[in-house]
Amino acid sequence: MMRGLLAKTVREVWVATLLIGLGLLAVERVLLFILPQIQGQVGALMESLPFLKVILKGLFGVDPEGQLSSQLFQALVWVHPVVLSLIWAHEILLCTRLPAGEIDRGTIDILLGLPVSRRFVFLAESVVWILSGAVVIGLGSVGYFWGAASLEEDLRPATSRVLLVLANLGCLYVAVGGVAFLVSALSNRRGKAVGVVFGLLLASFLLNFLCQMWEPARPFAFLGVLDYYQPGKILEAGTIPFRSAATLLGVGGLCWMGGLEVFARRSICTA
Amino acid sequence: MDVISTHRLTRFYGKRIGIREVDLHVPEGCLFGFLGPNGAGKTTTIRILMGFLRASSGEARIFGRDCHRESRRIKEDVGYIPGDLRLYPWLTGHLLLDLAGKIRRRSLEAPGRELAEELELDLDLKASSMSRGTRQKLGLLLALVHRPRLVILDEPTSGLDPLMQKVLARRLRMLADAGHTVLFSSHSLAEVEQLCHRVAIVRDGGLVADESLESLRKRARRRVDLVFDSGAAASIDPPSLLDVVERNGTRWTCNLTGEIHELLSWAAAQPLADIAIRPPDLETLFYRYYGEERSGP
Repeated sequence: MMRGLLAKTVREVWVATLLIGLGLLAVERVLLFILPQIQGQVGALMESLPFLKVILKGLFGVDPEGQLSSQLFQALVWVHPVVLSLIWAHEILLCTRLPAGEIDRGTIDILLGLPVSRRFVFLAESVVWILSGAVVIGLGSVGYFWGAASLEEDLRPATSRVLLVLANLGCLYVAVGGVAFLVSALSNRRGKAVGVVFGLLLASFLLNFLCQMWEPARPFAFLGVLDYYQPGKILEAGTIPFRSAATLLGVGGLCWMGGLEVFARRSICTA
Repeated sequence: MDVISTHRLTRFYGKRIGIREVDLHVPEGCLFGFLGPNGAGKTTTIRILMGFLRASSGEARIFGRDCHRESRRIKEDVGYIPGDLRLYPWLTGHLLLDLAGKIRRRSLEAPGRELAEELELDLDLKASSMSRGTRQKLGLLLALVHRPRLVILDEPTSGLDPLMQKVLARRLRMLADAGHTVLFSSHSLAEVEQLCHRVAIVRDGGLVADESLESLRKRARRRVDLVFDSGAAASIDPPSLLDVVERNGTRWTCNLTGEIHELLSWAAAQPLADIAIRPPDLETLFYRYYGEERSGP
């Protein structure tokens, strides 16, 4: 049963996964080509434009005091808005397919008319979500290591630290996907599910910057997903922030399980 | 043994009622017509049976199993075509047989090819480039290819040409002859009358009839057309055994509420130019169930 469900889901998502993965590869490669060349200029800009420092602090998760270290600057390739947008677009695309997408296009009747349990269908989608996420982030990593190979030795972060950043990115991927699955399980319209997840991510992204700029917003920083994604800190310290990683995995896991239960129990109305 | 049984099955959509207290019993090997106008509650009942919707109250069972809790087990022996069939745009007949085969854990290629030939369906055509009727054939292929013990068809003939409707009817009769059960939902009396052994009529969410076609025919009234000699009709009072539906000059159109021999005795004494007694009129009976009395076809 699982083989059939996996084959169906893979057939529907492989093109988008490959395109987004290749896009991420290209973006990572280009960023690593451009960033070392502008590192000095950004440092000078930070002195004249304190606002830029706030933005970078929001992105890196650490305060870039004074001059940017090359390690910290490398973190930018993992927090760049284009990079996050590509990864999140892929997640929203995948995690809102079931049940919102299937109900919206009316194909869920055919799918659930077969002898499949709803939990298995949800599980098959989730397996493809994780595997295709690995493909997308993997292709992004290929772009990163390809670009990093052309950097001078002292500018290149240690591979072990980059792998820790990737692990943190994986946790972020689980958290966003889990939330998207829950929203999808509660929706009958894919557009609505996509809108809600996009809105949540945008709000979270903006909250992250707001907290850097506006003191009263700081107590709410924990609500922003980027508060738990800290590539700058990882590249500098060489350790993964376990609490943040656990929070991301916990939120993602709970939301995913919530989505599974909602989908298994809810009524499916296509009309 | 009842293949499908529901007990006081009720479903609300918010405050609006979908179906109320439906008691449905479909015996094994029966071609069972499920008749009602659009919005009467046919699809809601079917969606509860398929485990898509949860009942607000009451219970629904197929093969003695609970339709929601044991939905996967039930569907191993069920073939289903939804009323509003939507297919994956990339789906071809071959891919569908492959997918259904993997999920049902058996090869469906050979019986699929045979059925596709009967339905005149090109298995290489993508659903996105199919006409509505061809998509319907693909849906029927999915519903029938594994020769299920129970086939649930929600308005399956929509989009099918009359020739294909005949092919489908033949296939369903074959299944029923072999002991399989068919629940055939439709809003067309004609196709249910031609195909089914038994019929349930649903109106405004409630079951208003559940009986064999034979007993319905017995209860249906005959339509009688009387043509009087010119000028005579005005002075004649209709007898109690005739319910006059329409008077048009010398012509009366009536429903027979009494016995035929009483009618013949009465008619023999009347100045009649012509008389026509039509077979039991199921259509009038059904329209009465639908709450929309019509004077005739």
